Amino acid sequence: MRGFERYKFVAALGAMVVLAACGGGGSTGGSGLGSGALLVGVIAPFTGADAALGPAYYAACLAAAPSINNNGGVGGRQVSCQKFDSRGEPADGVPAANAMIAGNSNLMAVVGCTSDEAAAVAPIIDRAHIPMFCMTGQTEFNKTTLKYFHRLVPADIYDAYAMVGSALYGPGHAPYKKAALVFGNDIGSQAFVTPATNAFTKLGGTIAINQPINLAPGTSYRTEVATMLATHPDVILTEALGAAGTYLKEVKTQNGGQMIPFIGTSATIDPTWFKQVSDAIGVNDLVKYYAGVDLGYSFSGPAYDEFITNLNAAASTFADAPKYKQRGSTLHLYDGIIMTALAMNATNSADPTIYNAKIKEIANGTSGATVVTTYKDGVAAIKAGKSIQFVGAGGLNSFDAYNNSVSGYIWVTYDNQGNEVKAGQMTPEQTATIAQAGGI
Amino acid sequence: MNIFVAAFGFGLVSMSVIAIAAVGFTMQFGITNMINLAYGEVMISAAYLAYYMNKAGISIWIGMVAGALFGAVFSFLLNRFIYAPFMRKGTANLGMVIVSLAVSLMIANLLLPIVGYYSVSYQEDAGRLIRIGSIVLTRDQIIVIGIAVVLMLGIHALLTYTRLGKAMRATAANPTLARNCGIPTQRVIDSVWLITGALCGLAGVVAALNADSFAIANGSAFLITILAAAVLGGAGQPYGAMIGAVLIGLITELSAAAWSPEYKEVVAFAILVLVMVLRPQGLLAKRGALAAAG
Repeated sequence: MRGFERYKFVAALGAMVVLAACGGGGSTGGSGLGSGALLVGVIAPFTGADAALGPAYYAACLAAAPSINNNGGVGGRQVSCQKFDSRGEPADGVPAANAMIAGNSNLMAVVGCTSDEAAAVAPIIDRAHIPMFCMTGQTEFNKTTLKYFHRLVPADIYDAYAMVGSALYGPGHAPYKKAALVFGNDIGSQAFVTPATNAFTKLGGTIAINQPINLAPGTSYRTEVATMLATHPDVILTEALGAAGTYLKEVKTQNGGQMIPFIGTSATIDPTWFKQVSDAIGVNDLVKYYAGVDLGYSFSGPAYDEFITNLNAAASTFADAPKYKQRGSTLHLYDGIIMTALAMNATNSADPTIYNAKIKEIANGTSGATVVTTYKDGVAAIKAGKSIQFVGAGGLNSFDAYNNSVSGYIWVTYDNQGNEVKAGQMTPEQTATIAQAGGI
Repeated sequence: MNIFVAAFGFGLVSMSVIAIAAVGFTMQFGITNMINLAYGEVMISAAYLAYYMNKAGISIWIGMVAGALFGAVFSFLLNRFIYAPFMRKGTANLGMVIVSLAVSLMIANLLLPIVGYYSVSYQEDAGRLIRIGSIVLTRDQIIVIGIAVVLMLGIHALLTYTRLGKAMRATAANPTLARNCGIPTQRVIDSVWLITGALCGLAGVVAALNADSFAIANGSAFLITILAAAVLGGAGQPYGAMIGAVLIGLITELSAAAWSPEYKEVVAFAILVLVMVLRPQGLLAKRGALAAAG
């Protein structure tokens, strides 16, 4: 190489290094975001006893993808959604997670991972360095060491406390004194039992019976219900059992056609659960005897408006999608995907080891951050060089050191059409009293 | 109320449901030598047919008859167009099990987009509670027990007193010899698929009615219980399946009353394992109506 050519080569190399270094700034159109389609993996039960869970999460992704794609994508990259069926079993969830990771180098985030399989699949996803938003309430994730794990719903113990709050302080009834606990015999379901028992008994109540039941499809619960009714509870505390219709119908039948009040976890705010139980015991009895707990959603505002527009549009891909308009998990996972896309923009990187930490910053906000409620506004603010805080369809998020976000509870019921109706709200004093009694 | 007596009553209902299904399943195996793992999915398909009829305002009892007819035709066609061609090619028994497993998965996955993943219920008033001491049953449950008793007696009469029943037993014992003796074995096998398919379809509707609320996933769950009853009684033995159904039905309910209900199926299957260890051929092998199959 002659002297002049060598000079030109070194100059060109230097220019490339400088340009590459500049690429790490705030631009969203840089090469750091890469090219080609991006994928959100929805790993959850789509078949098996908990098959009703997966569709709620898939609907979240189908709503989030157009929010991103219609506003320039992630640096031009279009986002799509793919289901990976865990069948609600670790044994099926692990190969599904491995296949998802091995077969898709363009995964930007994973959503789903319920209590059924989270303990098995979350470490796999974490090792692959993919940010995940899991719908598990398991206590083991309260202080998780998994850096890519995010949880936008409270641990099950808080659901249990809210149910106890509904039993003791809820509107429209005198405090219940004698409760039957009817939860599945799986690890996830049993997480409710100890905190609920502690809180309810220390505040003067009695547990009439703690009945862990087999959730296998096709099981009849006649003997279980007869045993439970023999203890004469005032109220049943229960969850979104796959066989809730079977159990509750049996309660009504054996109790001479009369239901007894029942309080459900936040997972019972679900259109498929409503349909199942209203089919079984009749919509009037469901509306009259059911009380539930949920996180305090407003179901309004620009973030929710965009969510609902895209959710309705998703009906062309998944006909049941619009049914999830008031499902907390659908709202939260929608927000999780949008926050991930914004984090990629903010870091100008498609490398999860770089944008993962930014998700928390965008959720919690930093001092002076611009509050945005849509992906479009978020990208515009980032392009303008601002730091942002995203307040999405599910409301404000506040991640702790372990990427768990906890917000306040409300007491709810259903109307005849299956819409959630707010019935009351736990006061901070009530929350503190129950949490103290429960041992947290 | 004595919970054990009550559980015994509930066990009578469970065993009736299991018996209808298990007898059909075991006859299929005993006479055609086919372990049909798609049996549970045919059951749930019939249950959904009755559901849609019920939703359209038709009584569930008419839906039950329709379910039985559907099961008969569906099972007959399954054999004619899928199983029989494989058998003619000499596919080994294990291969046929895999074929039936594949059929089972295909039915479940074809059904899923049609019926959805959520649980549904028949709109049927179970009738007033009837109390006999501590036993408390609904009118529908007593009808289900009655249906099972009539069907079991009918199967006994069919196998014992009719030409078709005798031809079935001969075909089960030695199909080649039966054919050489002038028995139209192909027609006998067709009849078996129609009869056992009808039991399968009827059992699907009865099981769904009994469960109050059912979903697509119930298909595979039904199969496990049916297999347990059939194997416990002696594979291929209709009377064995009846005894297996009685044991599984009663044990699950009584153990739920005696211990924590979460273990009721564990107890039932532990007894199944114990019987298999002590008597691997099942309780009634070589004593039932289709003795040679044992």
